[in-house]
Amino acid sequence: MYKGIEASRGIGIGSICLITDHDLSFEAKHIEDTEAEKSRLGEAVETLKVKTAAMAENIRKNIGPKEAEIMEGHIAMITDPAMSGEMNKMIDAGQCAEAAVTAVCDMFIGMFSKMEDEMMRQRASDISDVKTGLLKALLGVEDVDISKVPQGTVLVAHDLTPSMTSQIVKDNVVGIITEVGGKTSHSAILARALEIPAVLSVPGITEQVKDKDIAVVDGTEGVVYINPDGEIVSKYVIKREEFIRAQAELESFRGKETLTADGNKVELFCNIGTPKDAKKAIECDGEGIGLFRSEFLFMDKSHLPSEDEQFEAYKEAVEIMNGKTVIIRTLDIGGDKDIPYLGLEKEDNPFLGYRAVRYCLANAETYKTQLRGILRASAFGKAKIMIPLVTCVDEIRAVKALVEECKSELKAEGIGFDDKIEVGCMVETAAASLIADMLAKEADFFSIGTNDLTQYTMSVDRGNAKVAYLYSAFQPAVLRSIKNIIEAGKAAGIPVGMCGEAAADPLMIPLLISFGLDEYSVNSVLVLTARSIISKWSKADADALAQKVLALPTEEEVVAALKAAAR
Amino acid sequence: MVSKTVKIVNEQGMHMRPATVFSQAMMPFTAEVNLCFNGTKYDGKSVMMLMAACIKCGAEVEITCDGPDEEAALAKAVELVESGLGD
Repeated sequence: MYKGIEASRGIGIGSICLITDHDLSFEAKHIEDTEAEKSRLGEAVETLKVKTAAMAENIRKNIGPKEAEIMEGHIAMITDPAMSGEMNKMIDAGQCAEAAVTAVCDMFIGMFSKMEDEMMRQRASDISDVKTGLLKALLGVEDVDISKVPQGTVLVAHDLTPSMTSQIVKDNVVGIITEVGGKTSHSAILARALEIPAVLSVPGITEQVKDKDIAVVDGTEGVVYINPDGEIVSKYVIKREEFIRAQAELESFRGKETLTADGNKVELFCNIGTPKDAKKAIECDGEGIGLFRSEFLFMDKSHLPSEDEQFEAYKEAVEIMNGKTVIIRTLDIGGDKDIPYLGLEKEDNPFLGYRAVRYCLANAETYKTQLRGILRASAFGKAKIMIPLVTCVDEIRAVKALVEECKSELKAEGIGFDDKIEVGCMVETAAASLIADMLAKEADFFSIGTNDLTQYTMSVDRGNAKVAYLYSAFQPAVLRSIKNIIEAGKAAGIPVGMCGEAAADPLMIPLLISFGLDEYSVNSVLVLTARSIISKWSKADADALAQKVLALPTEEEVVAALKAAAR
Repeated sequence: MVSKTVKIVNEQGMHMRPATVFSQAMMPFTAEVNLCFNGTKYDGKSVMMLMAACIKCGAEVEITCDGPDEEAALAKAVELVESGLGD
């Protein structure tokens, strides 16, 4: 058994095709006719450019435009004037084209592989790919044609370069094993896009195998077996079927409503950080946006975003969602999210300090700019306003007064907006939970932020490793708080959602069903998983479990009981 | 020669894709295009040099264009950077 990095999920069992590296050695010679040598390099550049453009087109058609960008980047590298300038200089000095390509590419490879940023270090392998391509063109070496491998092939290579990956025929390749590359490498991205199981960074694997060896590739666990015995093969045949069945089962939830086992409909929304994320939410079958964090508009800037800038961003998200709900959380800065140009003072207790709605109400003009932006966007779809970090009724009243002010201004200016726009609040502090019944009379909806609620209820800084063990939404105190919030919302007749990580937690979902949560807002990729888990629980079953769990005095017992009951 | 200082606004800074977009858009201009960052000049038509510069989001860079179509080149360069380089 060999261990590597699990880069693309699934199980593949097949016959190995070993891709050996070509002999690209050459004899460096002194060049007299430097002009002829430069045009020889120019021809190699042109050949590789044409070949790469064809691959880019192939990927764009078969995988997608985003994946094709890798090859477009390669074209930019191949035709880079600084690179070819350096190479031509070396040829002018009497070096041959092969030597010039090697020296210049190696210089850049060395430079990129020393960079701090992992994504930049990955670029070294792109330059290496370009170098190999240029040398092959110069030496007249033909590529192995990966597109011709038979069905049931497991590809094994030192590194699967993007140019190789682009030739893969999805139906024929059942697995990929390489010696180098990480989860964010191009090979990994393309393997995931093609849904081919892949294990990368298996040391020395090309030395251990030969063509036609049988390989088991477990891309979920990052494990590889070469010529395993029958027992292991049958184990993995079963595992593969289970994986395929589980995937198909998840897919069967696509396009369906989110229903509990006894047919109660709930809403399944997504959390997003930028308007573009809304597209992903749609792709992942989200039914709306339960949390649009507006901070991205404010971070990484030197000044406050204008009303128009904000309006455009909110409008984009609302239009992408095309009539589905988009809950926009107003500026939630402070705490761990600093925005330098606001000039906020450093505080001893930032999480208990001047942040979120507290900052917004003290800077009403800044806040009104955002509220006006949201109101204007509400003319283009179903936007809702959500106030973060509420601790008392006065805060909701003050925000609603500002919203009314903005509305009359917009009316006077003749600008359209949704007059019935809902204003709800996050319930994420111990204070808000305790007065949830009072807040429910003021707010149009609740959304429980489990991350902050856990932190504030347990009085624990989750960034502090010494106390992080207390940070769990399954602590009895947090569970009681969640139950109280949902019940208060229901008693007042307003919908209650949850937008923390807990909303997608398979262990938490039965409790939320029992408490009566109306809307689950999760990371887009978890939509189908959450819908599947929700479908497995009826209210009666969830109630029975909740009753048992709420009587348990420790987090450990709670988690154990939920795990034992998990579906 | 014309120049303007701009701020990189796309989240990931000068990564492969933004650098590709920028260098490819600058290529058709006759003018020499340079990005000055942290006191060093980088060739604006070179995807490699742009990436090698390690320009992060929020960084300020001075774009200089020199040549017959320098005004048009600078206008295009500034527009690209300010619109987030296709990110």
